[in-house]
Amino acid sequence: MIDGLDPVIHVPKRLAAMAILANAPSASFRFLKEQLRLTDSDLSKQMSALEAADYVKSTKDGHGRGASTTFSMTRAGRKAYAAHCAALRALMDPA
Amino acid sequence: MVSSMESGQVREQLLLVERAAAAPYVQYPPTPWWYAPIVGAWTAAFIAGFAWWRENGAIFTAWLGILLAAEALFLIWMRRRHGALPMPGHGKPPAEIAAVWRGYFVGVAAIAVLVALAWWFGGVPVAAAAAFALVTAGLVIYERKYAIAAGKVRDRLA
Repeated sequence: MIDGLDPVIHVPKRLAAMAILANAPSASFRFLKEQLRLTDSDLSKQMSALEAADYVKSTKDGHGRGASTTFSMTRAGRKAYAAHCAALRALMDPA
Repeated sequence: MVSSMESGQVREQLLLVERAAAAPYVQYPPTPWWYAPIVGAWTAAFIAGFAWWRENGAIFTAWLGILLAAEALFLIWMRRRHGALPMPGHGKPPAEIAAVWRGYFVGVAAIAVLVALAWWFGGVPVAAAAAFALVTAGLVIYERKYAIAAGKVRDRLA
């Protein structure tokens, strides 16, 4: 493993989700799905992986058909994302 | 596991990060026509409430409570409608958007000074009317500038 690159975040779909969550207090399932151009099941899978790593947390609003899920980044996620981005930049500019 | 990366892959990942990070700022539903006048009216109503400040403390407090509750509901609605509403101090906006945000805060300060002057010279009714006109016009200008900046970011990252 390259120093600082996080294998959980390294997957492009998850990296993009983390980049969105780093720039908004929360993001809805719908917004992430549209921006990442993923199917419901694929997005659920990617967000579950990030939740399992304790990088994001999800909140469900409402019940039934009107219910919506929003995601926000945890402190650990923020730290891991910042370290991952710093490692990527260091790879581009080792000096 | 991340074992090795070529510079092309790294560049691709950094571009992916930049595009995704910009999404909350530049991918948003069209602003409804009534947004600016409603916020202008809210500000005017907030200032008008000060007419009760010394006359009736209970009405003044209830009025502020109603306005703050309305603002909270409005923010919840905006957040749901947008999907990932960006907030100052949370993340790093693209340079084009950051410049518009700086202009917004300068505009808010200028409007506050002008409304305070209107209050000083004309009293609460004049200040409320000035607040409605200035906030509505200021938001229309801000929305236009923001839309242009967001377009520039989308073009740059396309």
